[in-house]
Amino acid sequence: MSGIILTNLLRRPGRTLLTALGTALGVATIVALLAVTDGLKQTAGQLVRLGRADLGLFQAGAADPTTSVLPLSLVARLRATPGVADATPIILLPEAVPADPAAIVFGSPPDGFLQQRLVLSAGRRPAAPDEVLVGDRLAAELHVRPGAATRIKGRVLKVAGVYHSGVPFEDGGAMLSLVQAERLGGRPSEATTIAVTLRPDVSTAAMKRRIKARFPGLVAISEPSEALRAGANGRLISQAATVIVVLALIIGAVAVMNTMLLATLERRGEFAIMSAVGWSGPQVAALVLAEGMATGLLGAGIGLALGSASAGPLVDALGAADYVHPQLTGWGFGQGLLVGGALGILGGLYPAWRVTRLRPAAVLASR
Amino acid sequence: MTRSRPTSASSGGARVRAEHLVRRFERDTAVLRDMSLTVEPGELVAIAGRSGSGKTTLLQLLGALDRPDAGDIWIDDVCVSAVRHPVLVRREVVGFVFQLHHLVPALTAAGNVELPLVAARVGAAERRRRSREALGRVGLDDRAGDRPEHLSGGERQRVAIARAIVHRPRLVLADEPTGALDRASADRVLELLARLCSEDGTTVVAVSHDPTLGGYADRRLLLEEGVLREHAPGAQPLPAP
Repeated sequence: MSGIILTNLLRRPGRTLLTALGTALGVATIVALLAVTDGLKQTAGQLVRLGRADLGLFQAGAADPTTSVLPLSLVARLRATPGVADATPIILLPEAVPADPAAIVFGSPPDGFLQQRLVLSAGRRPAAPDEVLVGDRLAAELHVRPGAATRIKGRVLKVAGVYHSGVPFEDGGAMLSLVQAERLGGRPSEATTIAVTLRPDVSTAAMKRRIKARFPGLVAISEPSEALRAGANGRLISQAATVIVVLALIIGAVAVMNTMLLATLERRGEFAIMSAVGWSGPQVAALVLAEGMATGLLGAGIGLALGSASAGPLVDALGAADYVHPQLTGWGFGQGLLVGGALGILGGLYPAWRVTRLRPAAVLASR
Repeated sequence: MTRSRPTSASSGGARVRAEHLVRRFERDTAVLRDMSLTVEPGELVAIAGRSGSGKTTLLQLLGALDRPDAGDIWIDDVCVSAVRHPVLVRREVVGFVFQLHHLVPALTAAGNVELPLVAARVGAAERRRRSREALGRVGLDDRAGDRPEHLSGGERQRVAIARAIVHRPRLVLADEPTGALDRASADRVLELLARLCSEDGTTVVAVSHDPTLGGYADRRLLLEEGVLREHAPGAQPLPAP
């Protein structure tokens, strides 16, 4: 039967391609959105585990991790919690660098593990509150070196050193003392997040449960995949992506079904002949479905290419290119292929059913 | 132009028996009215009749493509008008030849001939062998790779005959097999149908306006007003449709 399927697909290459394009658009949308949301997840994951902490603590129900507000008094209580090795408060100041609005400025105690773990590639650690450490990516972008001045939240600070942490968010930002960040952000005695390291002998899951029980209103995040769910905005993005994916699937399936139905009606005589020479209804329906699936897989191939190519421009168009890098994973590609095949089958179901209802005697008599 | 009739029917042919067939269509018009017919194994029966007299309907009923409103059709000991899966009758017992060949345009001659074997889930190598053999029988083994658009009308009809016999049916039903052919092509097609009876013992029921068909047939019948009558060789020819 594979020979018949191939012949049928090749005899009307234009139609086959158009049908495949219906699938391709659906698959491309899915692949691009998955790539962007995966990139977003990764970025969010980096944000919530600053300083490569074991846990990042945030205010529950915050619209976005950057809008979380935690009292600094929690830090001492956290350090006293059994199983916690260390805890350091962090203030996030988004859009604090006028020359690079995507850069995030982090405020944390100079003796906390976040700053202590930073490896300096130039200069020294800050000796005064009006000195700042700059990530190597931001330094390159702003063309600053140790000793230079840079403006943060309207205040001119001196660059004491340049660091590299390997975390794009951190390397694309700057690091201040907590005191200076509180002042610049107008948030005395507050932190955005608290980074926590755990003792090696405790389980992360058990500690998350313990912290949740001891500190109501806190969310403890340990995995990048949890990060997007942490904030309402992240959930909104995730849900919006799901809705768009479902819509793309429906539109793709309808487009495929419409084209296949037309093709099927056009080939009624052919199916009647096949029925007359011994093909059963299920056999003819299987042929239609198999052609739909083959077209769907072709569309999936085109869609994967389109989706891969459009993920980057999509992030650019959203203005998020500085901190979101599309992640094209094997599973993402696999999902694209599965969706393509499924679209072909879904789109072929109704035409296939129509074929089984065909009365060959009536069709042949009318030809 | 008389066919050399085999002295005894080959065991390859089916015995066809239609009893008191009734088939109505729109507005309750009965195309077939209490029509009965018996065709012996290996017999070639030619059925003539005006356009709209029900010839095609009769063939579709005999070939399990349609069901009668009343009456029964037996092929050997199987009541095909009551079988649950008539497609199995078409797949295993019957071969159809249509007036307009009805080939699938996208498939090659061999591909068209193989269609009944694909339905019967015959393996690819065996399908190829049998389609070549069938095409060889109709003299088209060198055109196996050609699509219908590259074949003449007569060649297409011969491909249709090859498709009708490739699964070795015991009954071949031919609906105006020469209707769209020139005289030479028509004669060749009729000779092929006659050879099915004489060489294989296959039962053949053919409906046609073509008076030449009668010369090849064992029996000539006339379908008129929904019933069949014997049509003697010297009888008045039918008016043009």
